[in-house]
Amino acid sequence: MEHIKKIFNTKPYNYYIFFGILLSLAPTAQQLGLLNSSTIIVLGTVIFYSVVGVGLNVLLGYSGLISLGTAGFMGLGSYMAAYLTVDMNLPYFLSVIISVSIPLAVGLVIGLISLRIQGYYLAIATLGVSEILKQVFIEMDTLTGGFSGKSAFYPKIFGLLELNRQFTFIGMSIVLVLILIFSHNFINARTGRAFLTMRGSESAAKAMGINLLKYKLTAFGIATAYAALGGVLYIHFIRFAYPSGWSVTLSLQILAVIVIGGMRKMNGPVIGAFIVFGVPELILKQIPIISGIDGLAYIFTGVLIIVVILFYPDGVIDLLNPIKDYIEKYKENKNEEKSLLDNQ
Amino acid sequence: MSIFLQLLFSSLETGSVYALATLGIIIIFRTSRMTNFAQGSLGMMNAFVATFALINLNVNVFVAAFIGMISAFITGVVVDLVIMRHAKRVSPVSKQIITFGLIMLFLGIAPMLFGTSPLSFPRFISEGSISISGASVTYNGIFNISVGLFIMIALFVFLKKTKWGLAVRVTASNEETAQLMGVPTKLVTMGAWAVAAALGTLAALMLAPAITVNVSMMDNVQINALIACVLGGFQTFYGPVLGAYIIGLSKNLLIYYVSSTWGNALLYILILVFIVFRPNGLIGKNYIKKV
Amino acid sequence: MKKNHCLTINNLTMTFGGIKAVDDLSFQIYENEIYGLIGPNGAGKTTVFNCITQFYKPNAGQVIFNNKSDQSIDLVTYQTHEIIQEGLVRTFQNIELINELSLLDNLLVGAHVHYETGIFFQGLRLKKARDEEIKMKKKAEKILEFLELFERKDELVAGQPYGVLKKVELGRTLMSDPKLIILDEPAAGLNETETTQLAGLLRDIRLEYDCTILLVEHDMRLVMDVCDRICAISFGRKLGEGTPRAIQKNKRVQEAYLGTEV
Repeated sequence: MEHIKKIFNTKPYNYYIFFGILLSLAPTAQQLGLLNSSTIIVLGTVIFYSVVGVGLNVLLGYSGLISLGTAGFMGLGSYMAAYLTVDMNLPYFLSVIISVSIPLAVGLVIGLISLRIQGYYLAIATLGVSEILKQVFIEMDTLTGGFSGKSAFYPKIFGLLELNRQFTFIGMSIVLVLILIFSHNFINARTGRAFLTMRGSESAAKAMGINLLKYKLTAFGIATAYAALGGVLYIHFIRFAYPSGWSVTLSLQILAVIVIGGMRKMNGPVIGAFIVFGVPELILKQIPIISGIDGLAYIFTGVLIIVVILFYPDGVIDLLNPIKDYIEKYKENKNEEKSLLDNQ
Repeated sequence: MSIFLQLLFSSLETGSVYALATLGIIIIFRTSRMTNFAQGSLGMMNAFVATFALINLNVNVFVAAFIGMISAFITGVVVDLVIMRHAKRVSPVSKQIITFGLIMLFLGIAPMLFGTSPLSFPRFISEGSISISGASVTYNGIFNISVGLFIMIALFVFLKKTKWGLAVRVTASNEETAQLMGVPTKLVTMGAWAVAAALGTLAALMLAPAITVNVSMMDNVQINALIACVLGGFQTFYGPVLGAYIIGLSKNLLIYYVSSTWGNALLYILILVFIVFRPNGLIGKNYIKKV
Repeated sequence: MKKNHCLTINNLTMTFGGIKAVDDLSFQIYENEIYGLIGPNGAGKTTVFNCITQFYKPNAGQVIFNNKSDQSIDLVTYQTHEIIQEGLVRTFQNIELINELSLLDNLLVGAHVHYETGIFFQGLRLKKARDEEIKMKKKAEKILEFLELFERKDELVAGQPYGVLKKVELGRTLMSDPKLIILDEPAAGLNETETTQLAGLLRDIRLEYDCTILLVEHDMRLVMDVCDRICAISFGRKLGEGTPRAIQKNKRVQEAYLGTEV
């Protein structure tokens, strides 16, 4: 046990790789009949919402900047990917790059705005942006299919290999792990420290030579790029999208993902995505009586947000603290006993 | 000319709805120092209650509305007592997030209690209209505008002239000092939530005849109310209300004269550009932070 | 021995809505001095401080600084975040450290401008980024050793005692190899023993890190103890400049602090 813990601590991203491998076994489990196909779909949504969540965590958790426009950017990525692969027949990876870059550019504009307006003003401004984007999705129906929606297919790698659901799932897991490792790295380096300083004290940041413009732009850039990437993963897995889906409610759910999972923790968004998007479908709906309640998922999420903010600000993992404390105490006692025995 | 007048009257009506919701938001903001994103949801929730009463208790529209407002008072008090009291030491961003949680909560409770189908709530005055210089206004429209204005004026008089109004303004200015001066700030915040919820409900009920009572009925109003606060500045009570009427008017003008599909989005873009240049709003005041 | 100038303030003026917080102030600091700026409460010390560090832009006057490349530059033409690169770094009266970071990480923030790698190098953990990080960590650990805080290096700043926080902020300034360190009321909240220790620490820093120190302070004990020269101000105007003894004897300074005799 100690040995395993050591591997995870010295190279923390072994932890992510292990998680990714575990996740990739899910499709196989389905083949073996241990999981059903709807579970795979739900887990798939957890994966791409985790990607979006990591981005929002960088923006809100680490940099202290709020955005309610996440859904809009996810939608932008989705529609672009759908249009580029279906209508324009571009190769998959090229489409991904473009579908992430253009929302990224828009995100940078928002970042510029964030220099002038802060706090609740910024939140409301991003809300306005999200509404504008939703209108764009409805109106530009040549690109987005308008109210009838837009559909796409599983990815076709290098123009040859067309994936199915299982392999798309594994592909998404790989993307998630790569995103986690990449983000973990820059968060634990100069960029992450600059973000936290910017959030904790703009005065200290300026005094230490941190260029607020640059870092606010970077934070917004990452958040929108990851949101767009999440959107790309979404459209190639779920394979259809409607404009009404990219609503403020979705933006709030993604916010819930990082709040509940724990802000300023790399694994927070994954835990949060599972709780917000996985638990209602996988667990709550299986429980008799309450599964029939309409709106149960929203009530569950809403209550959790409030409870976490008020009592467990570091995320829902803290609910496990009594258990952690008990294990710590148990180990301490064991060590004491051992040293007593040794001394005899 | 008559078209413009027509637009003016419908803007006053739209503006009234926005203004009531906006007033709710700014009252809570100035007394509890948080942005209530759940204002619309509170209104939606209690509009359902009113409609339910209308359908099941066989009362008339005004009594149903009254029941909805009572329910709103209770909801506001409960939210303050159960949730906001415990949020005193939480950061402003986190307080905002709590209101997001509230939105989710109501989004779930409403269908749980009232079902998923939209319900209909009638106008306060069901028929009749008059013509002013070629523009036609319904009696209901006049009623809504008048009620809106009346409540606005009543609240401002309350704030300026009464002892409790003073208590509200003092709490809004500095809660700690207010407490030291013996102002019952807990009651003030509780009252603020109750009144805000009621205002939101009234706005929802005024809107209901046009769009039915459903879970997303207040989404548009919520966003416009927030933008009204941004436009008018969070530092005064009257600024956002003014902003609400301006938004109501601009929206209708843009939609009619410029583009019916992009009018809304255009308004948001204009306001976004505006706040980049005037980050504290039309009437906002700037505070320099001391380092 | 000819002394080099480090920081020269010329005719600094700062007005807030009609009130002159700083009025035509001039003084000069030489290299390797420990220099004090004193004045009673409300004298304008903090405003001077912020004008030097470019948190405020003065209405008139110059802040001539001899930077790391030995050039004389007017800081007024620089933006706030550009100051540290020139070799001037500040502390804060309210101790602006980051609670979520460890002592070591807080120090690393002080070296922000010395890093060359960007987000992609860091994200992909390329060799250049890894090497830079190791180099900076070693430097930070050395400073923490000097401050006798090495054991706490991985502890979070949150919850640390006040004296530790003050030292960490000082450590953070040292990370940028500064020519001039400006301290904002460093003795605030310290008792007599701690103030004496601080004085010793400042002298050690001056020696060990070969820099100049400017204290903006209103605790007389520290200033008289550790400063080579002092500038006294009141109501934004200069009362006098000189050695601690000269300032102590200065009639106008005495009046400002103690009031005139009737």
